[in-house]
Amino acid sequence: MVSSMAEGLIYDVKLSSVGPGNAIEPDMVHEPSDMDLAMKLHYLKGIYYFGKQAFEGLTTINIKEPLFILLNDFPVICGRFRRAESGRPYIKCNDCGVRFLEAKCEKTMDEWLEMIKENASLEKYLTPNQIIGPEIAFSPTVLLQYTKFKCGGMSVGLSWAHVLGDAFSAAEFLNLLGKVVAGEKPNRPIKTKSTNSESLLKDMEDPLSVKRAGPVGDNWITVNNSKMEAFSFSVNAAQLSHLQSKISSNATDFSPFEAISAVIWQCVAKIRESEPKVVTICKMMEQNKADGNNQLMSVVKAAYPIVEANPSELAELMKNSAFDQREKIENAIKKDNGVSDLIVYGANLTFVNLEEAKFYEFDYRGEKPVYVSYRVDGVGDEGAVFVLPGPPKNGGMTVMAILPENEVTELKLELKTEWFMD
Amino acid sequence: MPQALPNFSSSVKLKYVKLGYQYLVDHILTFLLIPTMVGISVQIILLGPEEMLKIWRSLDIDLVQILCSSFLIILICTLYFMSKPRSVYLVDYACYKPPITYRVSFSTFMEHSRLNLKDNLKSVDFQMRILERSGLGEETCLPPAIHYIPPTPTMEAARGEAEEVIFSAIDSLMQKTGIKVKDIDILIVNCSLFSPTPSLSAMVVNKYKLRSNIKSYNLSGMGCSAGLISMDLARDLLQAHPNSYALVVSTEIITPNYYKGSERAMLLPNCLFRMGGAAILLSNKSRDKHRAKYRLVHVVRTHKGSDDKAYKCVYEQEDSQGKVGINLSKDLMVIAGEALKSNITTIGPLVLPASEQLLFLITLIGRKIFNPKWKPYIPDFKQAFEHFCIHAGGRAVIDELQKNLQLSSEHVEASRMTLHRFGNTSSSSLWYELSYIEAKGRMKKGDRVWQIAFGSGFKCNSAVWKCNRTIKTPTDGPWQDCIDRYPVHIPEIVKL
Repeated sequence: MVSSMAEGLIYDVKLSSVGPGNAIEPDMVHEPSDMDLAMKLHYLKGIYYFGKQAFEGLTTINIKEPLFILLNDFPVICGRFRRAESGRPYIKCNDCGVRFLEAKCEKTMDEWLEMIKENASLEKYLTPNQIIGPEIAFSPTVLLQYTKFKCGGMSVGLSWAHVLGDAFSAAEFLNLLGKVVAGEKPNRPIKTKSTNSESLLKDMEDPLSVKRAGPVGDNWITVNNSKMEAFSFSVNAAQLSHLQSKISSNATDFSPFEAISAVIWQCVAKIRESEPKVVTICKMMEQNKADGNNQLMSVVKAAYPIVEANPSELAELMKNSAFDQREKIENAIKKDNGVSDLIVYGANLTFVNLEEAKFYEFDYRGEKPVYVSYRVDGVGDEGAVFVLPGPPKNGGMTVMAILPENEVTELKLELKTEWFMD
Repeated sequence: MPQALPNFSSSVKLKYVKLGYQYLVDHILTFLLIPTMVGISVQIILLGPEEMLKIWRSLDIDLVQILCSSFLIILICTLYFMSKPRSVYLVDYACYKPPITYRVSFSTFMEHSRLNLKDNLKSVDFQMRILERSGLGEETCLPPAIHYIPPTPTMEAARGEAEEVIFSAIDSLMQKTGIKVKDIDILIVNCSLFSPTPSLSAMVVNKYKLRSNIKSYNLSGMGCSAGLISMDLARDLLQAHPNSYALVVSTEIITPNYYKGSERAMLLPNCLFRMGGAAILLSNKSRDKHRAKYRLVHVVRTHKGSDDKAYKCVYEQEDSQGKVGINLSKDLMVIAGEALKSNITTIGPLVLPASEQLLFLITLIGRKIFNPKWKPYIPDFKQAFEHFCIHAGGRAVIDELQKNLQLSSEHVEASRMTLHRFGNTSSSSLWYELSYIEAKGRMKKGDRVWQIAFGSGFKCNSAVWKCNRTIKTPTDGPWQDCIDRYPVHIPEIVKL
């Protein structure tokens, strides 16, 4: 998990597990929905950076205790995957728990935040990187890493298997943890049966938004043709309003997500040999209950060359001409009863709208995070871009782009020169 | 149908015959005394008062003889009361309840096992099979150092565990009994596998600032039966020191003893031993006669160490890779059975009613003289005791004793449920079991309790207590929050 390059940077790593405080009723089982299984090769990685006061004076047991209380309400997270006779995976809620890592960093938090501006891949050392497999029955789906910096600050690294839920559910889990730390009792109804759409649509071919991977067997990660690299940049409030005004066409206002995505779509088209004519858009549903995979998935097809298009036309496409893909994705899974392996993020260039995500509501003993970063592991070769809220005091957005490593430098340059985004 | 009826009526007849026999033999002295008294009274009445006076005068007893006789009687009475052993009372006891953060579920235990022993999957499978049949539940607790992958058993962690377990138990006991720490005259701590310097008893003296003339003892290496050995020692000390309080702490520290190797016979303790501890306050003060919970009646200790097989059956040693662990031999159950027989032979005459002893004697003589093929008579200990606390060493031990002593499932319920909820907590398990019986509201004044513990050596120790006052529910103790869920049915094999 911690490579020799980072040895010394992150050190003193200790592994243990945290489970629910009370025993669960026996024989409880959770059946993931078709949409859940479509996302099983993706892993959400979130890092919340906290200042010194949040964790001051706390021992490891103090940090673990609220988790024991919280996990009583999350039997699904504490369970482990098994395969039914048909081969369809399900979760046995057996109280196994989440993996808990403790680590130390030899840099102060400010030094670290400077370092990741240049090299966002370093953040992978702050989250645990274990995938589900090769033994799915003994692989935790959620892992937490608490890294203490030299200055006393702490980062909370979350590794969340996307099969459990989208980024909104992951955020909800940690926000509830904050509430338990404050002494409130989480009151969450336990849902064990996910709802699936009804019938199998006749003989459809795979939707544009997915790509068949593998078969990966019990090693739930996709193999990329080129090594993927993450880089992130922030767009502060001033830059954002400037961008939005530049892109807005007559009487149509575009949201920050649409504006930023349109810009990046064009930049990527410029640096790639074959333009990405089809992109996937993921965004939050209106009635988001933050439990499970409830994002709206759609594709946008451009009929003309992207490079010469006006970004506002692209933004317009994204806003109004997206074709909903949810049912088709679920169908693709239903066809062989959940045994097949698909990827969604990275099947085409994917843009994920996490604007509304409540990342900054994770309150630990009265302290909010100074910075939150989210990325996804297991993104396909076409790449993915995530638009998250930035730190509230800046008012802007944070953009995390995961692309093949040879495209990263060019894209950075393109963004800097064309759009003054650093 | 007709065939069943004669059997039924003959068995009923047999039952009444047996009851009648028991009543007769148990109260034989009463039955002999009453006719004699009646006979004498009748004789006296027939003689009349004048005749009585004439007989008295003819005896010609003068004042000196009367005085000497009375002095003799007073002397004999005084000698008798002085040489009578002091009664030892158990004022109260407290068991350690681990916090939820130490909980280990089966699945977590197995997953960690798999990660720790990743080169030895056969041993991992073996552990899984043990766990499935162990009789443990999903709420047993291990200390924090053992939760790490791999476990980090440092001396500091072991001391930390010892402090937490022992101090919580003692604090809880002090609160329950209301005594002050400066009143403690005798301190005995027993912990088999962790014996630091300064000793754990010195640790207690230091923490609670006990008196400088305290009589402190630290028993280590004596296995799971050390709890009753401490009771025995406390009892003997309380005979030598009048008007004293003795604090006994029984525990087992898990941290330093987690076996890190993969030898199968040595993996068993990892699966069964869990955190636990108890603190017990004993007293010989007359003012505790009324508030004490129990009175100690007998302690019987049996040591089979002179037999080599018994000596080696629970043996701490290094495995082929130099990792230290406790090796449990395959004849453990057989040896335990023999040790139990020895213990029963000694304790039987002390506790069994006369009817059972007579039957046993007759069968014994019969087997020796007449016919060795006669079935040996197993005395019915259910007549001597209302409650049984069998050390929760493992499911096999409880099953074996239930069979040997012909106990019903209600009698062994306390042991089985303690094994399920707390695991094998070694010397303190007897106290969790006693606490279970109290929490269920089954302990009434006059009830007799038999605590049996087995331990390395090989030893079998028993203690007999008599309940001094009915214990009211709800009790505060380790079962407070979960007693309503018990008893649970423990399946033969739990599917993991």
